[in-house]
Amino acid sequence: MRKPILKVKDLYYVYGNGKSALDGVSVDIYEGEKIAVIGSNGSGKSTFFLNMNGVFTPEQGKIIYRGTVVNKKNLKELRKNIGIVFQDADNQIIASTVRAEVGFGPMNLKLPKEEVLQRVEEALAYMNISDFKDRPPHYLSGGEKKRVSIAGIIAMKSEIIIFDEPTAALDPLNALMLEEVLAKLGSEGKTMLISTHDVDFAYRWAERVLVFCQGKIIADGTPLEIFQNRSILKQANLKQPTMLEVYELLVEKHLLEDTKAYPKSTQEFKKMLEKQVSFLGVLA
Amino acid sequence: MKQDYRNNYDELAKGEHRDSHTHRDGTYHHKHRIGHKHGEGFSIDFYAYTSKIRHWNPTFKVSLSVLILILCIVLDNPYVSVVVIIAMAYLTIVKGELPIHEYLSILTIPIVFILLGTFTIAIDFSKQPMGQYNMYLGFCYVFTSQAKLKEVVFLILKVFAAISALQMMTLSTPSSEIIYELRKAHVPKLIIELMNIIYRYIFILMDVYTKMKNSAESRQGYCDFKTSCYTFGSIASNMLVISLKKANSYYDAMEARCYDGDLIFLEEDKKIETTQIVAAVAFIFFLILLWGFTR
Repeated sequence: MRKPILKVKDLYYVYGNGKSALDGVSVDIYEGEKIAVIGSNGSGKSTFFLNMNGVFTPEQGKIIYRGTVVNKKNLKELRKNIGIVFQDADNQIIASTVRAEVGFGPMNLKLPKEEVLQRVEEALAYMNISDFKDRPPHYLSGGEKKRVSIAGIIAMKSEIIIFDEPTAALDPLNALMLEEVLAKLGSEGKTMLISTHDVDFAYRWAERVLVFCQGKIIADGTPLEIFQNRSILKQANLKQPTMLEVYELLVEKHLLEDTKAYPKSTQEFKKMLEKQVSFLGVLA
Repeated sequence: MKQDYRNNYDELAKGEHRDSHTHRDGTYHHKHRIGHKHGEGFSIDFYAYTSKIRHWNPTFKVSLSVLILILCIVLDNPYVSVVVIIAMAYLTIVKGELPIHEYLSILTIPIVFILLGTFTIAIDFSKQPMGQYNMYLGFCYVFTSQAKLKEVVFLILKVFAAISALQMMTLSTPSSEIIYELRKAHVPKLIIELMNIIYRYIFILMDVYTKMKNSAESRQGYCDFKTSCYTFGSIASNMLVISLKKANSYYDAMEARCYDGDLIFLEEDKKIETTQIVAAVAFIFFLILLWGFTR
């Protein structure tokens, strides 16, 4: 059995106004996993992320990072290894040039300056934004800001990267760019958690899906398991991914043989249709 | 609005000059009027980023401009002032490639202040007609003299030279670099951190304000004076709430990246060229010599 990088045990978090945001959350995160976190607004996803990073201190419960329980003393170690890309880049970018912004995390890690500079260059090249490293953030577009905020986390070289609704407020081209970056990070074996409302994206990208509902994880499994379970979807106010819905409809109407090979993208769907042409031919 | 600036940035970065630019409403009109629509602060910052002498070492630029400022005041010589005005305009316009009308347009604000301020020094009031030039206003005389006028002109030149020396700095050095210089000059850390955060925050608040104002405008929030006052008040109080919220989320984002009380940014040291130092030293010697000969 693989050892989890991060173990979250019975996490409770209550906001200052008495509103309970996390209500006993437990989850194990293994190395290299691609996890989509879904759930309606206010279901506790962002609070969960901030707890995982140690920004919020939970009311009750433990976070165990690589076998050691996180407390105030080793909090920095946890933050170093878990990076969050916040939903609104404008709430993350603090420095007045792109270079300084990307270097903010590494500088806080108290690395030597040469190392910081090297990491910043790497991260900028990774996100393809080396051209505007001297620009101030207020002369960047939304997509560029998003890239800067991601570069800022990449430069910290954290083991787990959390993206809080990264596709929100991005145009299709930038969203595509983001997916490419995610694929690239995935191929390097980075562990990633992404919260999203885009079920189609979760279905095609994730290996594992966590469903949040009113501060609890109500389901944890592969995308297929989750999205075929209509009661969970109903409880969490989610809809089925279009691809899955279309596939199931076609099977239901006997237009397609049920091979259990669920297509995740239109390309896969096309390939599958081409394979099944004989079957369709019989129908015609 | 932000998009607008970004486009301008790209244009300027490519070395193209913009004679007109698109405003939010999408109409084209001439930009170079006295009094800018977006507020001068924004524009100055913007020029600093597009200046062609931005890559010069900031320590060099800051110390040169401060040194010249001090020289202007200490030497108190009209010839020195004139030379400084010309030299600084040369640096900003020719070396920095800032369009001349933009430069003049930026300088109009200090010029207005200088004229208003010195005007009162030049004139005096009295019951009797006196002085070389006087004018009767019905109840008293306004008078002045050649010596007084000369003094005022020299004063204007001096102030103007000092301002253009500082303007050279602000139009070629982005705020972040100026703050970095202040840090090196051992200004207290608290002030440096405040400057950094305030600088970044100005743009965020302006952005938020523009969005709120536009949404209020689209709902007839400014249809008459009373409504406008009410809308303005609502926006102001809402801004406060949003600032607090933003401050919170900023703090979270900083903490998530291992912030532990010291706000330190990555700063880059730019190389200084010997020719620049030689030229600067020669210029300062020239000013002192000029002062020596014309004393």
